[in-house]
Amino acid sequence: MTMRLFINGEERSAAVHPLTPLVDVIRDELLLTGTKSVCREGFCGACTVHIDGVPTMSCLLPVIAAEGKAVTTIEGVGGPGNMNAVQHALEEHDVVQCGMCFPGMVMSMTAYMERRPAAPRADIKAAMSGNICRCTGYERIIDALLSIAAKEDTTA
Amino acid sequence: MTEANSGSDVLRPITIAGALDALGGGRQIMAGATWLMRAPVRGEAPPKAAVLIGSIPELQQISIGQDQVTLGAGVTHTKLAEALAGVPALKGLVTAASRAANPPIRAVATLGGNLCTAAFAAGDLSPQLLALDARVTYATKDGTQDMDMSQFLAARGNLSGGLLTRVRIPLGNFRSAHARLPLRKAGDYPVAIVSARMDQNESLMRRVRIAVGSVEATPRRWSGLEAALEGQPYDLKAIADSAGSLTNEFTGRDGVEADGWYRTKVLPALVRQVFEDLSMQFAERP
Ligand SMILES: Cc1cc2nc3c(=O)[nH]c(=O)nc-3n(C[C@H](O)[C@H](O)[C@H](O)COP(=O)(O)OP(=O)(O)OC[C@H]3O[C@@H](n4cnc5c(N)ncnc54)[C@H](O)[C@@H]3O)c2cc1C
Ligand code: FES
Ligand code: FES
Repeated sequence: MTMRLFINGEERSAAVHPLTPLVDVIRDELLLTGTKSVCREGFCGACTVHIDGVPTMSCLLPVIAAEGKAVTTIEGVGGPGNMNAVQHALEEHDVVQCGMCFPGMVMSMTAYMERRPAAPRADIKAAMSGNICRCTGYERIIDALLSIAAKEDTTA
Repeated sequence: MTEANSGSDVLRPITIAGALDALGGGRQIMAGATWLMRAPVRGEAPPKAAVLIGSIPELQQISIGQDQVTLGAGVTHTKLAEALAGVPALKGLVTAASRAANPPIRAVATLGGNLCTAAFAAGDLSPQLLALDARVTYATKDGTQDMDMSQFLAARGNLSGGLLTRVRIPLGNFRSAHARLPLRKAGDYPVAIVSARMDQNESLMRRVRIAVGSVEATPRRWSGLEAALEGQPYDLKAIADSAGSLTNEFTGRDGVEADGWYRTKVLPALVRQVFEDLSMQFAERP
């Protein structure tokens, strides 16, 4: 069956079963491979995309549930030359190690930091609880995110 | 049946009657899909036929009255926590809904899906709703059935062909609290859960309800501890001691996150946490 998606600002379609996990459609049909498929059970967050702006695990979302909504993947939030504030902060603080978790981390934290740019450390930690990172130990990621508010303070 | 058509294996009705008509033909109710889409991880076949209930407005309703709160079964954990944040008696339920799982899961996982998953022992909402004396409405083509939480939890594994439509929670001057022990600080299943509700009258504990989740396969009330505390003065040490002497009411289930003995062993500490929280809430009560 043909599923129509509005993804990163473009209309795309894929001939798949309506209950196919969205992550498989994004990666295998639309070839947007920035979104990672790792645990496939909602724990690791590597597959996080935005559905109408809300971070969502695309491994557990049937593609039909994304029809008629705006889907944004990591390719849609910014890339070399037009990185967003979260991507800049992670690069500047040299946080990324193996990179497996980062597409999902950027998606979750972009949505969160837009809503709560001055969130304290404890709240950022709680907001990151759906994104597992096996390499960094998290603290450096949080330092990088806290630097966004600090920078806005000094430039204001 | 009115529906947003999506092919015959997957239907998206927009009314409860439409959803009941759509069941059959191997189709099962799908709400937030966070349990059903994990079928392959459990070694089961991925879902191929479903009745998606996310487009039924009635299931999304939240009404907060003087005496009771009514929640549609399709309300997500996130919406539930946001909507009830200003209801002091239901702090325990807000804690349960806002600590379960992780933020992206809470944004889609529903109240109905959480309560109807009989195979999931670690649900946060059911013990809390047990403690709150909640009642559920289950609709079938033959009519609706109203059940208290204990009846529903006992029956849920055998219910089929129907739809949980709403949950009603009586309000009062009581306070409620919820304590859970995940192995990491956040994100994974709780090893044990204690939910409690009580009123305080002339410094005595009244209408005490305590429920335990994740320790056994199905959550249930801790009736021995409720009886021991009812009418007693609030004394945190005595409460924890009573809990310690009554943990043998439960037989912990062995699981990947923890052995059965550990689940019962941590119960007194969780009881202590909920009663400390309750005492702070009563201190703030006008
Ligand atoms: C990573 C992760 C961590 C989690 N951690 C926790 C946790 O800490 N605490 C916790 O409580 N839960 C936790 N969960 C479980 C999660 O809350 C459940 O997966 C969720 O509540 C199921 O809701 P759903 O709407 O997604 O259900 P679905 O997957 O859509 O459905 C689940 C079951 O319920 C049935 N169903 C759904 N709605 C109805 C209805 N209205 N009437 C009749 N039947 C219905 C379906 O047919 C199916 O059998 C976690 C889940 C994940 C993925
Ligand atoms: S792949 Fe979706 S949460 Fe891990
Ligand atoms: S950088 Fe390797 S998992 Fe996060």
